[in-house]
Amino acid sequence: MSELEAVPGYVEERVHVGETTLVVEPGELLDAARYLRDELGFNFLSDVTAVDYLGWGSAGVSGYIGTASGRDLNSPMTQGYQVVPLAKPKRFALNYHLLSISEEPRRLRLQAWLDEGEPVPSVIPVWPTADFHEREAFDLMGIAIEGHPNLRRILLDDDWEGHPLRKDYPLGGEPVRFSGEE
Amino acid sequence: MTAIAPRSLTSRRPIYEGTRIPSPIPTVLQTPPDIQATGDVLTVNFGPNHPSTHGVLRLIVDLYGEDVTGVEAVIGYLHTGFEKNMEAKTWWKCVTYPERIDYVSFQNNEYVFVAAVEKLLQLEIPPKATWMRTLLCELNRIHSHLVWLGTSALELGAISMFWYAFREREQILDLFELVTGYRMHTRYFQVGGLAEDIPRGFYPECRRFCDWMPRAIDDYETLLSRNKIWLERTGGLGLLSAEDAIALGQSGPVLRGSGVDWDLRKTQPYLAYHQVDFRVPVYHAGDVYSRYRVHMDEMRESVRIVEQCLDRLEHMDGEPWIADDRKVVLPPRHELHTSMESLIHHFKIVTEGFRVPEGEAYVAIESPRGELGCYVCSDGGPKPWRVKFRAPSFVALEAAATLMKDALIADMIAIVGSLDTVMGEVDR
Amino acid sequence: MALDKPLRAYGLKSERLLMPTKASAFEQEVADLEQKVGLTTLAKAVAWAQTNSMWPDTFGLACCAIEMMSIVGARYDIARFGMEPFRGSPRQADLLIVSGRVAHKMAAPLRQIYDQMLEPKWVIAMGACASSGGMFNNYAVVQSVDKIVPVDIYVPGCPPRPDQLMEGIIRLHEAVKAGVPPAYEIRSVAS
Repeated sequence: MSELEAVPGYVEERVHVGETTLVVEPGELLDAARYLRDELGFNFLSDVTAVDYLGWGSAGVSGYIGTASGRDLNSPMTQGYQVVPLAKPKRFALNYHLLSISEEPRRLRLQAWLDEGEPVPSVIPVWPTADFHEREAFDLMGIAIEGHPNLRRILLDDDWEGHPLRKDYPLGGEPVRFSGEE
Repeated sequence: MTAIAPRSLTSRRPIYEGTRIPSPIPTVLQTPPDIQATGDVLTVNFGPNHPSTHGVLRLIVDLYGEDVTGVEAVIGYLHTGFEKNMEAKTWWKCVTYPERIDYVSFQNNEYVFVAAVEKLLQLEIPPKATWMRTLLCELNRIHSHLVWLGTSALELGAISMFWYAFREREQILDLFELVTGYRMHTRYFQVGGLAEDIPRGFYPECRRFCDWMPRAIDDYETLLSRNKIWLERTGGLGLLSAEDAIALGQSGPVLRGSGVDWDLRKTQPYLAYHQVDFRVPVYHAGDVYSRYRVHMDEMRESVRIVEQCLDRLEHMDGEPWIADDRKVVLPPRHELHTSMESLIHHFKIVTEGFRVPEGEAYVAIESPRGELGCYVCSDGGPKPWRVKFRAPSFVALEAAATLMKDALIADMIAIVGSLDTVMGEVDR
Repeated sequence: MALDKPLRAYGLKSERLLMPTKASAFEQEVADLEQKVGLTTLAKAVAWAQTNSMWPDTFGLACCAIEMMSIVGARYDIARFGMEPFRGSPRQADLLIVSGRVAHKMAAPLRQIYDQMLEPKWVIAMGACASSGGMFNNYAVVQSVDKIVPVDIYVPGCPPRPDQLMEGIIRLHEAVKAGVPPAYEIRSVAS
């Protein structure tokens, strides 16, 4: 969709498994959101997902990859070679899944890459539904949302320390004790 | 601050002019300062343990007499850490987790996760599995609406509805037990198809249920739909216009009760929905009664879809129920005695788990509550890198503040009930 | 109550059968114990009254709550045991059926509800999550409800069928009728 190139803050766009991902600069996210809603008709924000890529690519993936196409004998991904996934630009990715409720429904993933502590503007002025989603991204992942009217923890206790969904936060829990052992 | 709703999808005049979304915080209704100044505002906590809040929802409500002037929803009392836990399990073991997120429509949750993984794997699913999944998802829709109907009516005082709705619910759970071995949290969907073949004897039982169910829905409608008390308690309450609904990210019966003809089964079909004939109910009053009517009509349509699935499935005996790709799906056990490759594949899939190619995918389906989405990010390994569920109830609670404008305290129960929230998926 | 040790310590060996025959070993042993320990007729009458009208509190948290609702339904009718009024207020409830996973945020309200109940009170930990944390061995879920409240009966299952829950409830009734004290008298919370 070359119409996406007119979006403010455009960095790149990719298509994979039938889904289009549009990457924008985090500073211009609000303008991009307004443009997408008003000019391109993405009036529905489905979801805001934050992903932490700390440790991405530290483990190589070897062996057969589980797709029918992965059995190509000439491709380096098979026959036991180690493949390390390509590095990501920054640590966090904030994905906005957009939908246009219209006669021609389309989906789009709007993506912004952030470093630790880099702020991103809240898109509540464009899609009010982002309120709870952004609070969750802040609570569980520690994304700094600027301009959010009510940025508090939503799913965890108010005095919880840390952001559990980050990769450097342990899973927690207890070691399982078996009844036979002491 | 309003979003645009295309005229073609909403065909009547708006329910109210402008927007009723509170500001500055869209999800918190705040008492106006002049009422606050009277000193008569009572702040009441509808605590996490309350019989009428459908689970562990906490509402902090400001009351001025019987008028609700301020509402804030506090959630997180059921936060289970699903997403972090799923990052530690292999893809196959992960399928048990999504079921428990929305614990009333569990197979829809299983399906959305499995569909996202299958999208990354680009697997071809055999038709028998597709039709059976459609049938089970629709049975789950009826199950979910029955639980909603029983509990919502119970809270508004129509106590006998609970027993009638749960009578039919037991029949559906019997069907699930017949097919999958367990009543709830069936873990029947597998990446590639179904975990096991459909047992004999299921089709006549399901037919019997489909013959009975429309009469049961007639019973419920006789009790409620033109009942003066029900109409008084649900009519004209909790108004939500189409623009506000889209701006607030609502979907499912809340959106269709506000006049927007949007159902992912028709607009972005998945499974076998483009091959079955069904109607999408849309009501235009935007109040609690409209959402009730949407739920009831959806139950009838689901029965029709189940019958059409049965018509197809009865001719599919002997067909494969899971994909043939041995890199992802376990080989049949009899092959393990004769084929070395099958043994190796079985070993690798069970111990290390199959690998999903690198990438990210977002799949959205129409769960009984609305748009249920699953975002999956894989690094090419045997475990997910990130899984996120877009839960419709989480978003529905954002609309609670808008809906409670000008509500009385008794209306609050009806309004929260009509949002059909399940706290497991709100808190994940 | 007359006992201060579990029945096992008094010599009870057999388990209650799901469908006991008329003179099953369990019933016989309980009768012998009652004779030996000397439960008074008044204590037995009080225990009989308590078990036949033990009102649960609505503490449904997650999936197990749906199965707990189905035990109120017409098929697995809990009203035949006198337990169909699920009280909204813990002040009026005798039995707390913790059905579902307990998040850390919910631990404080759970303890508060338990404290607001009046003695004698019993707790059933329904399901795997309440009994041990279930499949959620992570930062968010309390690994077993007995870290917060003392538990009388643990019902396994994910979720337990309504009949499994009923088995747990009936075992609780049997234990109360046999004179076993509620859990807060014999145990404190786990560490």
